[in-house]
Amino acid sequence: MGTRIGGLILGGILLAGCAGGPGPDIYVPAQRPVDSDTSSEAQGDEPASRPSVEARSAPSHQSEAPSLSPAAVSLIRDADRLMRNDQVGAAIGRLERAQRISPRSAEVYYRLAHAYRANDQLGRAEQFALRGLSLTGDSVPLQRTGWSLLADIRRSAGDMAGAEKAQQRARAL
Amino acid sequence: MRRMKKARSSKKSPSHPWRRLIWQLVIVALIILAGWVVYLDAVVTSKFEGRRWEVPSRVFARPLEIYDGAPISVDSLRYELDRLGYEPVRLPSEPGSYSRSGGRFTIYTRAFRFPDGEQPARQISLTINGDRVQAFQVRKGPTTRVMRLEPVQVGGIYPSHGEDRVLVSLDEAPALFREALLSTEDEDFFDHWGIAPLSILRALWANIQAGHVVQGGSTLTQQLVKNFYLTRDQTLVRKANEAIMALLLEAHYEKNDILETYLNEVYLGQAGSRAIHGFGLGSQFYFGESFRRLDLHEVALLVAVIKGPSYFDPRRHPERARERRNLVIRLMEQAGHISRERADQAQARSLDVVDRPSFTGAEYPAYLDLVQRHLSRDYRQEDLQSEGLRIFTTLNPAIQRSAENAVAERLARLNDRSEKTLESAVVVTSRDSGEVVALVGGRESQYDGFNRAVDARRPIGSLMKPFVFLSALSRPEDYTLVTPLKDRPFALVFDNGREWKPENYSGEAHGEVPLHRALSHSYNLASVRLGLGVGVPAVRNTLDKLGLARDIPTYPSMLLGAASLSPVEVASLYQGIATGGFNTPLRTIREVTTAGGESLSRYGLEVKQVVDPAAVHLVQYAMQEVMQEGTGKSAYRYLPRELGLAGKTGTTNDGRDSWFAGFSGDLLAVSWVGRDDNGPTPLTGATGALPVWADLMSRIPQNSFSPVVPAEVNYHWVDSDKAALTEEGCGEGRYMPFIAGSEPTDRVACSGSLGGQIRNWLRSVF
Repeated sequence: MGTRIGGLILGGILLAGCAGGPGPDIYVPAQRPVDSDTSSEAQGDEPASRPSVEARSAPSHQSEAPSLSPAAVSLIRDADRLMRNDQVGAAIGRLERAQRISPRSAEVYYRLAHAYRANDQLGRAEQFALRGLSLTGDSVPLQRTGWSLLADIRRSAGDMAGAEKAQQRARAL
Repeated sequence: MRRMKKARSSKKSPSHPWRRLIWQLVIVALIILAGWVVYLDAVVTSKFEGRRWEVPSRVFARPLEIYDGAPISVDSLRYELDRLGYEPVRLPSEPGSYSRSGGRFTIYTRAFRFPDGEQPARQISLTINGDRVQAFQVRKGPTTRVMRLEPVQVGGIYPSHGEDRVLVSLDEAPALFREALLSTEDEDFFDHWGIAPLSILRALWANIQAGHVVQGGSTLTQQLVKNFYLTRDQTLVRKANEAIMALLLEAHYEKNDILETYLNEVYLGQAGSRAIHGFGLGSQFYFGESFRRLDLHEVALLVAVIKGPSYFDPRRHPERARERRNLVIRLMEQAGHISRERADQAQARSLDVVDRPSFTGAEYPAYLDLVQRHLSRDYRQEDLQSEGLRIFTTLNPAIQRSAENAVAERLARLNDRSEKTLESAVVVTSRDSGEVVALVGGRESQYDGFNRAVDARRPIGSLMKPFVFLSALSRPEDYTLVTPLKDRPFALVFDNGREWKPENYSGEAHGEVPLHRALSHSYNLASVRLGLGVGVPAVRNTLDKLGLARDIPTYPSMLLGAASLSPVEVASLYQGIATGGFNTPLRTIREVTTAGGESLSRYGLEVKQVVDPAAVHLVQYAMQEVMQEGTGKSAYRYLPRELGLAGKTGTTNDGRDSWFAGFSGDLLAVSWVGRDDNGPTPLTGATGALPVWADLMSRIPQNSFSPVVPAEVNYHWVDSDKAALTEEGCGEGRYMPFIAGSEPTDRVACSGSLGGQIRNWLRSVF
């Protein structure tokens, strides 16, 4: 029953993730190192005391949730099929491949949480749900899914207070 | 035997009792012979099993995933295909071949049995543009959006006793090897029963024709049996025994098993007191190459020396060796295995023997060392050496190569300016999964020696600071990124009367500084004050939560990194910061299976939230500032500005240790430079370890670091020197993260003139 709910919750978000298009990740191709004239470096001096190389740019952050690559989506679909056939171990293998391709997508971690829950490894399931929640950015649907999933997992683990807290977070969104 | 002869010699008495006696003697002789055969059978099977079943474990790199958007450069794809032994051709029509035109590849992949199932061979095409895969398409084979190339085999775990050897399997044999061996040594191998009287006659005939010995008559099976004996006596009895044993061996085992054992047994040369057995080690010994990558003329040379490794030694008697090699090639041509042109081409090649024999069976000794340590948690060494397990690791050969080259090139430059030889170690992990993708244990990465990445424990200096700051920022009610800290000299007096006076690297104090700048500029005085404020035990507790497995002193000097850690341990601690507060244990192994492919253990992804992601986000902000305006900014001499990074430098007294730890969106890397004798160097973290780190990063296509803001964090424009909110776009303003509720309450007007605001407005317009 719980598993089915988890599946339903997750079923919707995958498409939402796809529709998001490319995430804000900035991809930088490799380049041969520029051979700076290192001999001019003053020895024993931290370079911070030298004038800056270029104008300052600010530390970066993003509020948008990183999206799933289509390759990761196809692996997740594979995993879904395996889950339906009760091949949870194989499904986890596919999801880990998807995680390596889209390592900052909340959905992948939610799927892993779901798979570990189905495998009755609730501790791991909770951690993957938390990891997913840390990557939702300002996406309300992803946050709602994550908190509901967490509540569901905690309930299975008998942590009713924790489940209630998570449920409240989901409701408050 | 002697009895039988006696019986035959006394022919002349056909009387009844004599005949009976003869029969009795024959029966006794047969029984003895049968007993002898049973004995030989036991000998030969035990010897064969002893060699045969000691199958080393095979270690694989990570398989390369191919899909639209995959981060791969043309160069690294070619490198991967070359490592896999794919042949560049015009039209890839069979597995193991590819064609390339600019960034456009057509690859005919090989089938491979992965732990999660068989992957079929496919003909695929793709284009690499801007270090990314585009237009990936399956042309033959089951269609898919994402697939893996088979993983490169990067080593094995071999028995440590006995002779030196690099065990190889038949399917690792290079093209035409089987043909070269069989047409020279045993043409009818697949048809005979262990001995081949016809071959003996044919060899005799060939030898008479040539006027000297060109072919031996004994089969490969006989040669193999001969190798089971330690001595080289050539008696008739021994010959007979060998023939019987050859027949027995054939009766027991498959041809391919016998051939594979022969492959690893055959004597191919001598290096001082070390016997070179087997084609795996032989390839290393003569060509410095792995067996599977040998060309036809090299294969032929190895087959040529079988006949007499000392007489045909290609280093000492190159002419003899060349003649014999060309004979092998000619025999292959005569047997129809190669064309006339191919034979001529191969015969025209030089011997290509390396001057100095190389013995590094494994190309990545440091990485494999770490793999073995991880394996030893769950497996017995004997089993690893003999059970033929398949070990799937997380090694990325292209990144490993980048790391090795970065270390070699940067160290060569640094060593030019240093009197003493500098050493280095590098660890690279995948930021979000903790998979170790590359490991360099020293300047000479091919040398299987002291593994500095794992075993060199050195004081980490300022690499400790992010943990001090994290401990403080985990208390938002007390500390934020703009909390003013005193960067002024002070002395701590201990109970025993000793005094400790920390100093800044520059020797100067900076007065009052905001917390974020104390980290980005690595101010010691402010950092120690902060650490003492939160308490050394609190910092220790943070380290424990992030998985520090070692007991380190809890003196105040620990706040400046007096604790000694290895580069791998540092990487493990930084992983928690890089992933936003989740402990992700470092892994080198994904899965171990039996030789037959049955899974024995999986080492899956693990995450565990151990520190507050919001506090980690603030530390990540300051570590990004390190790269943009602090001690790490010289990294951008090597790297494009667009690549967002976070990191921290570390230097210990007199430059004995130069450290850098940092991460991009995809990778975390830790580098160390110093001397093995722990002597002083003229280096700092920024001039020793940072160039190595930045050089390495510049060689790898990757995503910028741009962390997702945790729900509990809000960004505000602040004047950090005044610890107050300000307006957007102020000259002194910074857009900084705060844990909800900890933002400054004071507000200041733009401290800059109106001109400053206009300048900022203009900047935003253009």
